[in-house]
Amino acid sequence: MTHRLSATAPSFRESKRALHWLFFGGLLLVFLGSARLAQVDPGVLLDARARANFLRFFAGAFPPDLSSQFLQFLIRPTLETIQISILGTAIAVAIGFPLALLGTATLAYRGVLHAREVGAAPSRRVVRFLPYAASRALLSAFRSIPEFVWAFMFVRAVGLGPFPGVLAIGVAYGGMIGKVYSEILEAVDPQPLEALQATGASRWQIFAYGFLPQAYPNFVSYTLYRWECAIRASAVMGLVGAGGLGQQIEISMRMFDFHQMFTLVGILFGLVGAVDWLSARIRRRVFAR
Amino acid sequence: MPRVQSSIADAHSVVGRQPRRWFPLAMAAAVVTLVWWSARGAEVDLPLLLRDGPQAMLSYAGKLFPPDLRPEFLLDTAFGALETLAISIMGSLLATLLAFGAVFFASANLMYAGVLFEREAAGRVRRGLRLSLYLGAKSLLNLLRTIPDIVWATVFVFAVGLGPFPGVLALGVHNGGVLGKLFGEVLENVDRRPIEALQATGATRFQILIYGILPQALPQFLAYALYRWEVNIRAAAMLGLVGAGGLGQRIHIAISLFLEHQLLTLLLAIYVIVTAVDYLSAYLRRLII
Amino acid sequence: MYRLENLRKVFDGDLVAVDDVSMKVDPGEQVAVIGPSGAGKTTLFRLLNLTLCPDGGRLWLGDLDVGRLHGRALRAARRRIGTIYQQHNLVPRLSVVHNVLAGRLGAWSGWRAVWSLFRPQELEAAHAALTQVGIPEKLYARTDELSGGQQQRVAIARVLVQEPEIILADEPVASVDPNLAHAIVRLLVEISRSSGKTLLMNLHSVELALAYFPRVIGFRGGKIEFDRPPVDVTEEMLGRLYAGISRSEAEEAGIPTPHDSPLICYGPLFPRK
Repeated sequence: MTHRLSATAPSFRESKRALHWLFFGGLLLVFLGSARLAQVDPGVLLDARARANFLRFFAGAFPPDLSSQFLQFLIRPTLETIQISILGTAIAVAIGFPLALLGTATLAYRGVLHAREVGAAPSRRVVRFLPYAASRALLSAFRSIPEFVWAFMFVRAVGLGPFPGVLAIGVAYGGMIGKVYSEILEAVDPQPLEALQATGASRWQIFAYGFLPQAYPNFVSYTLYRWECAIRASAVMGLVGAGGLGQQIEISMRMFDFHQMFTLVGILFGLVGAVDWLSARIRRRVFAR
Repeated sequence: MPRVQSSIADAHSVVGRQPRRWFPLAMAAAVVTLVWWSARGAEVDLPLLLRDGPQAMLSYAGKLFPPDLRPEFLLDTAFGALETLAISIMGSLLATLLAFGAVFFASANLMYAGVLFEREAAGRVRRGLRLSLYLGAKSLLNLLRTIPDIVWATVFVFAVGLGPFPGVLALGVHNGGVLGKLFGEVLENVDRRPIEALQATGATRFQILIYGILPQALPQFLAYALYRWEVNIRAAAMLGLVGAGGLGQRIHIAISLFLEHQLLTLLLAIYVIVTAVDYLSAYLRRLII
Repeated sequence: MYRLENLRKVFDGDLVAVDDVSMKVDPGEQVAVIGPSGAGKTTLFRLLNLTLCPDGGRLWLGDLDVGRLHGRALRAARRRIGTIYQQHNLVPRLSVVHNVLAGRLGAWSGWRAVWSLFRPQELEAAHAALTQVGIPEKLYARTDELSGGQQQRVAIARVLVQEPEIILADEPVASVDPNLAHAIVRLLVEISRSSGKTLLMNLHSVELALAYFPRVIGFRGGKIEFDRPPVDVTEEMLGRLYAGISRSEAEEAGIPTPHDSPLICYGPLFPRK
């Protein structure tokens, strides 16, 4: 017995060490390959031309363009950005919430809410699994395609303007919100759900009394986070012609007017900060209750 | 049951005492108003959208099929996908290194506050130096984070020219700020008891860092870095818009030149790598924690 | 009320939690189920309240064979059975009034249930139930701010407004102090006596079972060891029921261990926190 132990233990340790080396070697290869493919060349940064360009850029940006004419002109795009972000987030919730309900495993096909009925007739599991799988696949497709691609396609489908930006945020963030909502719902403590079911409550009632009260603070918190992201995303939406501050950034970039660009980025900075502050306050309020 | 009868009167008197729940109602009203205001501002023509929207989108989606599967185009797509992957990996690596380098200076409990400095009677100059180092690191990370990666990308494209490298720099710099914030939260939530114990043995601050703090924090650092990788793979695709190569650039071209079949192939490629990175990252994170 | 014919539940293919149990419970009876931890008592109760699906045997609720029920009929059957859980199983972020009124869900439509979250329906019933368990002033308190004993009383109030024919109580006093334990068991037995509701209670404490119940079932290894009135339960039967369990658990159940006094049921009886 002891003999066998002493024989196997080192070889096991060795094989584990070999695995580690293999892993780190592979990682190094991945990094080197990526560096080559991404044409990483730190030398370029120290190049005199790059330095001159940086200087030109930052010197050119100071001071920001604060002429009252430009600022007045910016009121509309700023409001537009806020509007795009709000409406986009609202559409994302409208898309994500129902899909999240279908895509929550504990609501759809497994766990204590299904033990009795699925146990009595296993074919029910298949019937309940199908809508779950379909909604998960849809959510995954929505969020895997980045929002700027959605924006591109919606510009093609409904024309230029803020509206394609709204739709793009709605669809891409709908996929993310749907996934995260369903994860929140699956993390809900199942014990109260079991008790609610035992009173004879329907699935919908169990949702309203058991899932929702436990999940909604996290819903609110994540939705606010997405809203913040939506404001930042508007900078990207503008590049493809979907309105808001992003479009102005694009224009001033094209015209190499770095003073204006500085102002625009500053406004964006301020918007994100304001939303951050507001969300923190709402979050505290929601979680305190 | 006389007891029940008498308690009905009590119940009614209690009704009056139900706490006013104005907050949820006020929130709901505010949200509805904001969405309505946004819908007006974003030029959403809902009836028109509902009438023509599905038609327009379906006909556009129909144009996408079938995907372009010619071998030479597939090869080009695969190369683009690899390039995007490489940008995301290098960008995440750079971001992690940046954040790791800066976060220790930007965390209050390592720089000037908390149990490590409880009994220290440092001179005013040293304290001031520490505090300003802390503030400097903190505001640098904030600055990196608040400027969107797409804006960083335009700056770097301007400075070092077109190609994937400015994309790497943009992702690294922006996410360096994001990870700096996340890492900082990890450091501030580290369990303080082992640190106190180590300090009581007479360990130096550096020894406390490597024995008491890093063992707790490193797995979470890695988990966050992997999570940012998931975000970065999408962002890397997007940076192609401003000339940083990869799938984004090819999508930009395909959309601009109305090459719908190629677009579908590229979309599928994005879907594949994004999903693959999601799974890989989730798997590695489970391995770490 | 209940008839079990060779009822069986197996977890993960090989862990037999309930092993061919057959028994009958008459309407209005009060039955205590005792036995060591891991005996399958909780699983038995989850079969009886139609949460789990048995792997074999039949279960009758009155004249109703509940085996193939599903959907609306299953919910209607569940409504007839009220359950009190060891961990209370209340919704923590909901206020007390809604947790109590959750007992009415089986009787309400979906919309009425949602509306009740804004304007509590059948408030009198909730208040009466809370009065009966002694905490009417907690009507609008938040549930997770209550103590463990108060939460258990809210859970009992939930069953009271449900007005079931059967009350299942799964270790209802495992996490409350001894005085309150007596009060809660007495309250449930009284409710059962005065309203004719059938009562089944899982108990860790042998003393409570013998003191308050006319019928005591010993359960071990998924099987019924004995089933008789408390006067007929002998020291030797209890010894066999708890044979081979650890000393601390025996003490918790109030069972004599070799070093204990021979007075079985009146030793140091309550779970020590």
